[in-house]
This record gives sequence, C-alpha cells and structure tokens, in this order.
Amino acid sequence: MPDNGGFTVAAYIAAAVIYLGYAIYLVRGGRAKG
Amino acid sequence: MTPIEAFERARRRSAVWIGVGLLLMAAVYVRALVFTPVEAVQGLAQKIFYIHVPSAWVAFLAFGILGVTSAVYLFLKDPRVDLFAASTAEVAMVFTTAVLVTGPIWGKPIWGTWWTWDARLTLTLFLWFVVLGYLVLRTAVHEPGQRARYSAVLGILGALLVPFIHVSVYLFRTMHPMPVVLRPGKPTLPGAMLATLLFSFAVFTLFFVALLWHRYALARLADARARAEAERADA
Repeated sequence: MPDNGGFTVAAYIAAAVIYLGYAIYLVRGGRAKG
Repeated sequence: MTPIEAFERARRRSAVWIGVGLLLMAAVYVRALVFTPVEAVQGLAQKIFYIHVPSAWVAFLAFGILGVTSAVYLFLKDPRVDLFAASTAEVAMVFTTAVLVTGPIWGKPIWGTWWTWDARLTLTLFLWFVVLGYLVLRTAVHEPGQRARYSAVLGILGALLVPFIHVSVYLFRTMHPMPVVLRPGKPTLPGAMLATLLFSFAVFTLFFVALLWHRYALARLADARARAEAERADA
C-alpha cells in the first residue's frame, strides 16, 4: 500500500481552513452588501 | 416585529446551524479518517474522496440554484431573488475553491501531477473564474437594477457549465475517474465507503444550507438598514 498519508492530512487541513475561515468571516458579518 | 429584527433573528439562528454544521463536519473527518477502511490500491490518499466529492456536489448544487434564481430574477425583477442569487454565488465560490484545492492534492500522489489540462479540471477552473467574475461584477456596477440583470445573465451562463462538467468524463479522454455514485446503474463503491460518502454528502449539504441562510440574512439585513436610513433621510 502506498505511503501517501501526508497528502490526505494536507487536503483535510486545507478544506478545514477554507470552510472554517469562511464560516468565521460570515458570522462576523461578511461583506453583507448583496 | 420590524424587518430588521426579523433578519437579526434569522442571522442568529443560522449562525447556530453553521456551528452545528461545523461539528458534524468534524464527525465526517473522524468517520472518514478513523472508521472507514483504507482503499487497497490508492492507500490513504483515497480518503480525500470523502471531502472532495461532497464539496463538488454542493458546488454544483449551488450553481444549479444560482442558475434557477437568476432566471427567476429576469422574469420577476424581484430584488430579493437577486440577493438570494448573489448569496448563493458567494457560497458556491467557497465550495468550488475547496474542490480546486483538494483535487490537486489528491492528484499528485495518484496521477503523479498536481494538475492536468483535461476537460473536467479545466471546466471546473472556468466555473471558478465565472463565479469570481460574478462577484467582481457586483462590486463594479452600482445601479441595483443593472447590477442584478448583468449578474443574472452571468449566473445562468455559469450554471450551464455544470452539466458539461458532470458528463465531461464520458465525452472526453480524461485522467479524472468516472462517477461512482451519481451514475447510470448502482453505485460501485463498497458499503462502508458508500455510507461514509453519503454521511458526508448530507453534512456538506446541511452546512451549505446554513451558510446560504446566514449569507442571505446578512444581505437582507443590510438592505433593510439601507432602506430605513433612506427613509429617515427623506423625513
């Protein structure tokens, strides 16, 4: 089995940063101009 | 209750659901990384599938909603529909970004390259640029009716790309794998992996709805405040 777990960790962290970052941005008010 | 109070309440309620979505997202991570079997050929990198594919599903769902609401706006000319479409576009941008970031991280260990200019990847990148153009357009055009009309046309054009992206793996020679769930016939995924994927689909969809609800509440709140201010200035 290939040893590629580092890519999995990187992808999961990247997705968490994107989703969590956007959620925090939005809950803090976002741009809210429509 | 005034409109401003109603949208403030929607904002608070949707924020709670965003929190619930994030907790469930953490549960997806645990289930996918700890309790789902490792695929024999690809190894651990295959687990990127459980966040990449649901992100793509939600992005395409969001573009579908954007296309429909944009078309509805052109018929009704209702500013609320325009605000809803704009909210959908912003959230669609986030999910498409996640697809375009997690895809190459999966591609590198499996294909040996971060990126290839094949039909599905290139069209998805185009889709990202279309929604980026949509959001930039909204900041550049200040007359509300004109902004809504131009945005609606661009929103429909973006949504038209989605069916091409889905069938691109059948139409063109590509390195991207064929669908394993949304395909003619039964899903080809083993049971435990399919259960994790379906759980992830459900959680990502709920998270999307919460984000969209919150974004729309913010847009309506800003709109209601601007109207109240204009009325005060007139009085």
